[in-house]
Parts: sequence; structure tokens; C-alpha cells
Amino acid sequence: MVSKLNTPGQRYMYRIRNLPLTLIHPPKGLAPLELGKLWRYRDLLYLFVWRDIKVRYKQTFVGTAWALLQPLIACLVLTLFFGKLARISSGEVPYPIFAYTALVPWTYFVNALTHSSNSLIFNSTIITRVYFPRLIIPISAVATGLLDFAIALLILFGLMVFYGIIPTPALLTLPFFMLMSLATALGFGLWLAVLNVEYRDIKFILPFLTQIWLFATPVAYPSNLVPEKWRIIYGLNPMAGVVDGFRWAILGTNPPHIPLLIASITVVTILLIGGLFFFRYKEDTFADVV
Amino acid sequence: MGNIAIRTVNLGKLFYLNQKKRGKLRETLEEKIRLSLKHLFTALSPDAKKNEKKHPFANKHIWALKNVSFEVKHGEAVGILGHNGAGKSVLLKILSQVTKPTEGYAEIHGRVGAMLEVGTGFHPELTGRENIYLSGAILGMTRREIKTKFDEIVEFSEIGDLLDMPIKYYSSGMQGRLAFAVAVHLEPEILLIDEVLAIEDISFKEKCLSKLKEIVREGRTVLFVSHNMDSLKTLCNRAILLERGKIVFDGDIKKAISKYLSGNPDAKL
Repeated sequence: MVSKLNTPGQRYMYRIRNLPLTLIHPPKGLAPLELGKLWRYRDLLYLFVWRDIKVRYKQTFVGTAWALLQPLIACLVLTLFFGKLARISSGEVPYPIFAYTALVPWTYFVNALTHSSNSLIFNSTIITRVYFPRLIIPISAVATGLLDFAIALLILFGLMVFYGIIPTPALLTLPFFMLMSLATALGFGLWLAVLNVEYRDIKFILPFLTQIWLFATPVAYPSNLVPEKWRIIYGLNPMAGVVDGFRWAILGTNPPHIPLLIASITVVTILLIGGLFFFRYKEDTFADVV
Repeated sequence: MGNIAIRTVNLGKLFYLNQKKRGKLRETLEEKIRLSLKHLFTALSPDAKKNEKKHPFANKHIWALKNVSFEVKHGEAVGILGHNGAGKSVLLKILSQVTKPTEGYAEIHGRVGAMLEVGTGFHPELTGRENIYLSGAILGMTRREIKTKFDEIVEFSEIGDLLDMPIKYYSSGMQGRLAFAVAVHLEPEILLIDEVLAIEDISFKEKCLSKLKEIVREGRTVLFVSHNMDSLKTLCNRAILLERGKIVFDGDIKKAISKYLSGNPDAKL
């Protein structure tokens, strides 16, 4: 068998087959992100997303309808308590669509954050046995939620028709705010997923965190309830920027407060890039620790 | 030297045993209390000193691999022998990049496919068909590769009509067959195989062995971990014997096996 490579011609064949050389060495601190590698593993990313979508509603009674029910029920509750009882002002738009518009990105965010934070643990058997860029796991967790997001968005368009809301040119910014909610979920999700590998406390912290977070986000109330001078600090919660952006894009009412939006975008960018590096830095230890 | 497939130089892997227990913070505390109680008992027993030495967690860390250096040429089939805990699986995990070494390095020329545990990535709620795609992708195949090999895989696995049933309804033997069928159709130049022949079904086992022989005959490089001496003998000419993380023998398979069988630590107890 070895003699296969003995003549120059065969060596040449060997070289043009261009076998990749892999060097395996101890971890050396900060690793490059190797985003190109992610691209080579895109089939796996696709299959993880597809698996999670297929499996998500298996053995449930209403199935995919959960994608509709989650934001709709939340909308009903908010309308009842905040719209009717507390009489929170929703400006010139009816309260239900005011709340639902915010709930579409919010529900996506909470689900995507929860799934990505738990994703490394759920896939621990694969992590300890097969090599692939681990970033695929939280990314696929965040991407899986996009289907539910799209379904909830369709209902939103339906509600717009129902309430006679005419889209403004601001609607064109919607993809940007969608992307921003994805980036927020991934940014936080990367950090929490890595921490979750070592400290399962994260699993218990998450439900609290998202509950408290809901109050810090202008879902049930408009962000102009927050005094103007506090808006930048308020914007440090990136979901504040996302939700304000969504309302503006869909309802065409108040444009987002610019300092608030800039604060949100800055936080998301720092968190996401930092999270990617933190993840890569810790990636080598996952198989030993998880 | 263009014909080296794998070269490892002073590969070492350190595991911390007394490391603060991962997981919940409370567990860390509980673990501490339990360990100190244990220490108390060992100290009270008459041959305390002896016990302390033998206590497996007395050392703070353990080298699962230490100074492991070897070369494997393209087209070689090498068996890896050793008792439980000798470091065989850790070695394969390092070579397949699942875990990183603590020291030393390894060079690998060519793509690596690893069959470290059959059925990795199978999802019980998905059908056999879906799981072939999923598991194939996890093992490093592209969707196109799987598509072209799909019929072959199904035929090899002998699952027939059950293909479109969720595999949670399969028997464990059937799941094993399907998993093996996927893994054995991997294309890379270097294959790392860990104990995948732990299949009960004898006729299927024969089939797997002959498929593996075919892979070796094709000139691909195979590292093969097994406790089954017969399959090792039929597949490999050379073996590396590991003991407590170190290479104690590297050479002819028959010598390696006899050395392995004579050095059985269980016999001493």
C-alpha cells in the first residue's frame, strides 16, 4: 500500500490530490474566528436547523400553532392588564396591535436566547464524539426560531390589515431590526451557552432573566414613558432599540429615539463580537467539561 | 516524507480529577464535604498510608496520555490495544480534534473520519431516512455525498421498510446497523474507529468486518481500537499497545496481542 507513493508520478498524484494538513496542538489562548470554516460546514448547519424544526413540535397537540399562540396569548394578557386595567397609552394605534408588534421580536428573542443558551448542553453527546466548529450549534439554535418568527410576522401583517394600518416607507427598515433581534439573541446566547457548559446555574437563571428583561423592554408600554435623559441608559438593553424599531417600521408612528438606538446597536455589536471570541476561546474545553 | 498520514510527537493529555466539580455551585460544596469525610475514613483505617496511595483521587491529576509518539503511513491499518483507561479513546479523540492535547502535537495529512461511537447524532423522533442525512452530516459528509450513497447505505443496513419510521421504534440492533451503515460509507483518507464492532448480530458483524477489510484494501489509513483480538488480527498488521497513557509496544500485531494478554492487570488482583 505504501509503495503507492513511491514513483514520482504517484507522488505527484498525491500532491495534486492536495491532502489537507491538519496540525493538532494544545490550545493557545485567543483563537481566530475561522468564519470560513463555518461556511464549509454549512450543510451541517442546515441539517441542525432542519432537525430542530422537525423535532420541536413533535408529540405536541397543537403543533406549529404554538408559533401563533405564544405571541397571541401574551398579547391578550398584556391588552387586558396593561391596555384595559392600567390604561397604558399606546398613542394613536389600538393597544392590541401596539403590544403584538413588540411581542413578535420579543417572543423570538426569548426563544432564541433560551435555545442557544441550552444548545451546547442539549448537544453534549455530539460534542464529545465528533469534531465540527462548535459555533454551528448556537447559530443553528438562533436560526431555528426564524420559522416561528416568520409565522408570527404573517399574523402581524394580518392584524395590520384588520386595523387598517397603512405601511409607511419605514417598513423597509424591518429586515434591519429583524437582524438586530437575531444578533441580540446570538450575542447573549453565545456568552450564556459557554457559561452553561461549566455552570448549570444558567439554566435556572434564564427564566428569571427573561421575565425581568421583559419589564426593561418597551413591550407593554411605549419607550417614551422613560424620561428623555435616561433613554441612552435605557437603550443599553438592545431589545429596547429592537422593539422601538419594530414599532416604527410596522406602525409608522414614533421614529426611534436616536441616542437610544445608537446605544442599543453599540451594545449588540460589542456583545456579539466579544461573544464570538469568548466562544472560540472556550471551545476547546467543551468536550472535556460538558 | 510524503507518505506519512499521521505523526504524533510527545502527545500528552492531562485530566484534573480533584478539579472543582463542574455544574451547580452547591455540588461543589457537597463534593468537598464528601471528600473530606472520605479522607477522614481513610486516615482512621489501620493501613492508612497504603490506602492513601491507592486512592484513585489522591493524585490531583492524571496523564491520560503521556509522551505518545508514533508515525502511521498512508495505507496502514494499525490496531490500538490497551486496557480500559489506557488512553485509547483519548488518543482517537485528540486525533479527531474532539479534544485538544495538553502537550505535544500531531500532524495529520488528509481528511479524517471518525467512528467514535456508533449512532452519534441520531435523533429518536426522526425517521431512518432523516437520520441517515443527519448522522452523515455530523460525521462530515455533505448532503450531496449522502444523496449519492443513500441507496448503498440503506441496502447495507438491511432495515428495509422501516426506513420511514421514527427510529425510536427500531430495536437497538437495528439502530446499530443503520448507524454503522452510515459510518462505514465515510470517504476520508484516514479513518479512526473505536469499538464499533460491539454488535450482537453475528451475521451483520461478519458483514461489517468484511466491509472494514475492503476499506483497508482500498489503501486507506485506519486506526482501529478494539477489544476483539480476532477482528484486530484480521484487519491490522501492526498494533500500538498503550498502558496508563504510554506506548509500551509498537509493532507486529501478534506480538502486541500476546503482550497485551500477558500484561493483564486484572489477573494480578
